[in-house]
Amino acid sequence: MVPAYREGAAIGAVVAELVAAGWDVVVVDDGSPDDTAAVAHAAGARVVRHAVNLGQGAALQTGIDFALARGAGCIVTFDADGQHGVEDVPALIAAVDAGADIALGSRFLAPGGAAGAGIGRRLLLRAAVRASNLLAGGTFTDAHCGLRAFSAAAAPALRIAQDRMAHASELLRNVCRHGLRFVEVPVVVRYTAYSRRKGQRGLDALRIVFDHFFHAGGDRKEGRTHG
Amino acid sequence: MIIRVILLILIALVGYYGFVRRRRSPVDIVVIMALVGTAAFCVIDPEATNAIAHAVGVGRGADLVTYLVEVALLFIVLHYHARLDDLRSKVTVLARELALLRADLPRRDGSDPT
Repeated sequence: MVPAYREGAAIGAVVAELVAAGWDVVVVDDGSPDDTAAVAHAAGARVVRHAVNLGQGAALQTGIDFALARGAGCIVTFDADGQHGVEDVPALIAAVDAGADIALGSRFLAPGGAAGAGIGRRLLLRAAVRASNLLAGGTFTDAHCGLRAFSAAAAPALRIAQDRMAHASELLRNVCRHGLRFVEVPVVVRYTAYSRRKGQRGLDALRIVFDHFFHAGGDRKEGRTHG
Repeated sequence: MIIRVILLILIALVGYYGFVRRRRSPVDIVVIMALVGTAAFCVIDPEATNAIAHAVGVGRGADLVTYLVEVALLFIVLHYHARLDDLRSKVTVLARELALLRADLPRRDGSDPT
């Protein structure tokens, strides 16, 4: 399942690669103004399209809902910008098949997993992992890798209420809170000029922290009526 | 003093705006008129606010008004933040439902991947 926003340039190759590997591909186009949906569809993905841009967290949750409604047993999230390798997917699925509720890709476990990342980005990611562990109460080695796999049974516990980028920490917090069995699987993240340009910058971290604290999470929100 | 005239005109405009916008609810009109009346009173008789300020331990009436306005603004910001966040989550639910619903519909012309 691939959340995508303005990825018309990269999504075709990503989807084609996944389809060629034999996976059932769902692309959630998060209200892109470009041809992301058409390109993904042409490459063989099933496309779900948000009418307006909501954010990556919201796109992930929509994709999860879609996959569950179609009886998926295991859901893999995969970034649209080509930073993940299809060859890492089977190891994640194998981990879930072996009994884990969720398998998290970690670029810091693989030798050279964060190759191509500048020193600044690596420091930022490390700091983000620390902050996220602090908030989630976990000991993860990589907090923000978009490559993960989880079972349909675990999906409801992961429910993402953070529409934008704070969903990654939210997901880990839910893993801890619900006591899900998780494993971390080494994956290689390919940093290209394209993915670097599309990626989060240092200042975005501030916004993510803001979202984390000031946007109510799912558990509080659901069933609440507002005056 | 010219500042009093200016302030009173502005307050009157605010009152008129509130009255026009919310004329359907009598409660709103009462609240708006009370707020506008208080504001006008503070402009017309600053000595009264001075007296109240002294009574609660603030040096000047204008300072007391500033403090109260600060607290009120903080409350308003938080209130609207909560409202916006609530709306955001509703929009998300609606957009998601729409996206999933559309995905279930048969393609109308076979080419539209939405």
